[in-house]
Amino acid sequence: MDELELLKKDWKKQNASYPQLTYNEIYTLIHKKSSSIVKWIFIICIAEFVFWTLINLLIPDSFLVIYEKFHLKTILNISYIIQYIVIITFIYLFYKNYNSISVIDNTSLLMKKIIKTRKTVNYYVYLNIILNVILSFIINFVMFTNEDILNEVFNSSRATIDSDKFFNIMLIAQIIGLFVLVGFLLLYYRVIYGILLRKLTKNYKELEELE
Amino acid sequence: MNKDLEHKFISEFQQHQNIIHKVCRIYTNNQEAHRDLFQEIAIQLWKAYPKFRGDSKLSTWMYRIGLNTAITLYRKSKRTIKTQDFDSVLHKIQSTDYDATEEEQLKLMYKAIYQLSDIDKALIFLYLEDKNYKEIAVTIGISEVNARVKMNRIKTRLRTILNP
Repeated sequence: MDELELLKKDWKKQNASYPQLTYNEIYTLIHKKSSSIVKWIFIICIAEFVFWTLINLLIPDSFLVIYEKFHLKTILNISYIIQYIVIITFIYLFYKNYNSISVIDNTSLLMKKIIKTRKTVNYYVYLNIILNVILSFIINFVMFTNEDILNEVFNSSRATIDSDKFFNIMLIAQIIGLFVLVGFLLLYYRVIYGILLRKLTKNYKELEELE
Repeated sequence: MNKDLEHKFISEFQQHQNIIHKVCRIYTNNQEAHRDLFQEIAIQLWKAYPKFRGDSKLSTWMYRIGLNTAITLYRKSKRTIKTQDFDSVLHKIQSTDYDATEEEQLKLMYKAIYQLSDIDKALIFLYLEDKNYKEIAVTIGISEVNARVKMNRIKTRLRTILNP
């Protein structure tokens, strides 16, 4: 291709036309803040860890009182232990993957490692959602099989309520809540991935297709 | 970080800065973006420098980090405002053998390259830098055969862009 050869010749000549930075200019440059996606991924991942950990561990006291009445304390304690194990495992995995990201790797490997690091946090979030759904199933089951206590806790004024109606309302409210949560998460990931990882994923796919 | 190391890095960087300018030349099309990418690559190089052991040439190491930053790590900053096009600024080489048709051809060529994907740009860049297919393959992390295949495809694609 003639044009490419022409370009190659021109390319070498261009060396003389680039502005040359002085020692002091370079000094200032390297002390500026990086805006690399790895840095942003790190910040966002840490924020997600904090968010989900707080959500799981900061259950209001009033809830605990209710759970205690249903003798759910043991289940709750077990779920705490599971959550701690999950957090520690994932923070370890995240740290390990993040640490392995090296800008000196070849392009393909670098992208693979960044995607892997990001995925670790995704799995953490998925697992959290699954655990929370399971836990709420258990709690619901226990609550609705103990109608006496249920009435005592939620209907202390002893108003006459149709128990079927009450059950339906509770169920619908929880399903709506679940949909809102899933919708919010999908939107969040769309936005975050859209901003941060679209370019990376596109480039990675291009390399993968080639191999 | 250690002052001696910093001094050594800046001196070496200064000597080899054209490598980074050339990476920016391929990946950006205006001065603002060029400066922005140049800055990010400089930061990445400095961050990686303490781990540079000299088992490869400094220039090779700079090619790698430069390309990785441009392809993977760099996010266009919001302040990247479209200023003057590069064609009109940097490309005016004051050469004695100035040829208007050649000049026009080159302009079109740079424009065509700018339309390529990030990965294709990396291959073209390494090709312009006279790297052989083995080096290209190792830098990008693909097989040598695939590097050849890809390069041929890029040439075809450039031809299509230039002669629609």
